[in-house]
Amino acid sequence: MRLLLAIWACKLAIFASRLLGKKGSSMPGQLAFKICPAILTLLSKQVTKEIIVVCGTNGKTTTNNLLASYIRHAGHSLVSNEYGANMLWGVCCAFAEKASIFGKVKAEYACLEVDEASCVKVFRYMEPTMVVITNLFRDQLDRYGEIDMTVDFIRRALAMAPDAKLIVNGDDPLVAQFGEKANRPCYYVAVDEDTGAGVSEAKEGKFCSFCSTELLYEYHHYSQLGKFSCPSCGYKRHTPDFSVTEVSLTNGVNFTLTFGEETTRITSRFKGLYSVYNIALSYAAARLALNKKPDYEKVLSAYKPQVGRMEEFLIGGKTVVLNMAKNPAGFNQALDAVLQDDREKDLLLAVNDLPQDGMDISWLWDVEFERLKQAKVNRLIVTGMRADELMLRMKYAGFAEKQQIKCSDIKKAAEFLVSGETTVCYGLANYSSVFTLQSVIKEMEGREISGK
Amino acid sequence: MENKRIRIGHLYPELLNLYGDTGNILTLKNRLLWRGIEAEVETIGKDSMIDFKNLDIVFLGGGSDREQLIVCHLLEQQKESLSEYVESGGVLVAVCGGYQLLGKTYPLDGQPVKGLGILDIETEVNDERLIGNVVICSGLLSKNELIVGFENHAGRTRLGSCEPFGKVLTGYGNNGEDDTCGAVYKNVLGTYLHGPLLPKNPALADYLLEKALLRKYGEAELLPLEDQAEKEAHQYAVKRFLKQS
Repeated sequence: MRLLLAIWACKLAIFASRLLGKKGSSMPGQLAFKICPAILTLLSKQVTKEIIVVCGTNGKTTTNNLLASYIRHAGHSLVSNEYGANMLWGVCCAFAEKASIFGKVKAEYACLEVDEASCVKVFRYMEPTMVVITNLFRDQLDRYGEIDMTVDFIRRALAMAPDAKLIVNGDDPLVAQFGEKANRPCYYVAVDEDTGAGVSEAKEGKFCSFCSTELLYEYHHYSQLGKFSCPSCGYKRHTPDFSVTEVSLTNGVNFTLTFGEETTRITSRFKGLYSVYNIALSYAAARLALNKKPDYEKVLSAYKPQVGRMEEFLIGGKTVVLNMAKNPAGFNQALDAVLQDDREKDLLLAVNDLPQDGMDISWLWDVEFERLKQAKVNRLIVTGMRADELMLRMKYAGFAEKQQIKCSDIKKAAEFLVSGETTVCYGLANYSSVFTLQSVIKEMEGREISGK
Repeated sequence: MENKRIRIGHLYPELLNLYGDTGNILTLKNRLLWRGIEAEVETIGKDSMIDFKNLDIVFLGGGSDREQLIVCHLLEQQKESLSEYVESGGVLVAVCGGYQLLGKTYPLDGQPVKGLGILDIETEVNDERLIGNVVICSGLLSKNELIVGFENHAGRTRLGSCEPFGKVLTGYGNNGEDDTCGAVYKNVLGTYLHGPLLPKNPALADYLLEKALLRKYGEAELLPLEDQAEKEAHQYAVKRFLKQS
């Protein structure tokens, strides 16, 4: 009875918060959990096939949502938290929303993105059958402490799900370690060639997870990702089970994915090497969960990016590209996308420091903003709650105060951005600021379509 | 008059590089260059010895436990020249893990181990991390200038005979109990304020530069800089975080 009450309350709360124009993807889950702490256990048990959890610092949402699309496309029912509410409440909410008012969940699969620190809490109530780990970078250090603590969270969580299969980014030594000596099946997904992108701005994971010796690399992809080996204990990049080769990053993301005898050539409109991992990991998880080749073409071409993942808008004949970046690895990848576009452009940078963003903004100094000097930036606009700090950071990156426009109000800053002369503008924003920025820009686009 | 020149040694950045330490190095270097003083940054790797005689400012950042231990062993081997450098008034800035290992003891896997003993401090560890924005006032700076920063540490540091770097107005500081923040001995400054401490505290950056110039040249007149972005970033942080306490 408590379960039913919890489900009803949750559904009502979702409805109410959506009426208020909110996403309603976390708070109702908290309410449901308070009424019935067993809600997640009771509802997740009803999933008939696989419960798949995606975690890792960057690429969780894209990987999980692609995976959910593969499964849905194959004609299966599923539960998923595709809006990115990825802590315990968000997971509860996804299940309660899917449940009938009689407490029944009709789902063959669950595809859930779960925040690294929350895995331990979530796995206490729900045991996954597959865990996908994308990568580990420094992110929101005020919440997670050091990267070693994140590794520890995941290790503890995995111990609670001893039967779950692992699907890991084999190029990331911090992630691949979970497959070592693990008494369970582990599938490694890796880029098995030198892509030539090779920047090594690795800040973490330079040392062997097992013996602390400095790792050697045959080649690097980005950050600590690459073909690594430990000269001392022999820990090394595994021969990939899902092997990515013939990567091309011009005109979208294209590569060949090989799994045993099966070879698939994947072409997509995604951008950047990081997208290769998101696509390959979601494909691998879908391949194993469905036990047949997923229909990647239809899924990738129909895939709508979530808020601010290289999202494009058209305003006054001008292209506005929004990209969320919330940690140095993500930001450096976002800068790559700006640098690859050789048109003159206006650029907006937005940083907030709300609890969900991480209150510590020290990471801004680890982003290689200096590279923007080569990016043909016409006007530089800094905004968000920490616009002052951004302006200072950009001064050190070679943009004097008078070359910058500072405007802490994101809405006004967005208006500046689209009012310029250039045919393309970029907005790079961290977590909470990207939502504000996206809604303002979307509104501008909407006004234009409806004839102002 | 010959050109002045300051050499900054960044110790082991491949090991100690948590949280944007590079901001501090950039600030020291640029505030010299902007004033027409030559500045050189030497990155010291774990396989080379440190030529302390050739350095005017030394920076030691923070890292994880594992990396902190490696650094402590490396410095142990060069402790004599490090002590000489410190006793002769060499400027040394140590942050987080770097700060802890300069002390008499610091925690490793929950156990106290022997540190370098340059600073008379002892550090224990607690499960609950002290995390958040910090505002302190420091006797090192004139005119009651405040210092803003961010801390994130499990260590609880107690001061022996050395002076605190400042008094905590917002935040936790050394241990969350006695309102002290950091430690100062001669021209050694140890603190839990990590990452970009110097960019938005230009007065503190200039204090360190002045000490280094005085030691090397016997005089240190620093031309004023415009510092518009610096002041705005500083004032924003003071205004927003000071009123919380």
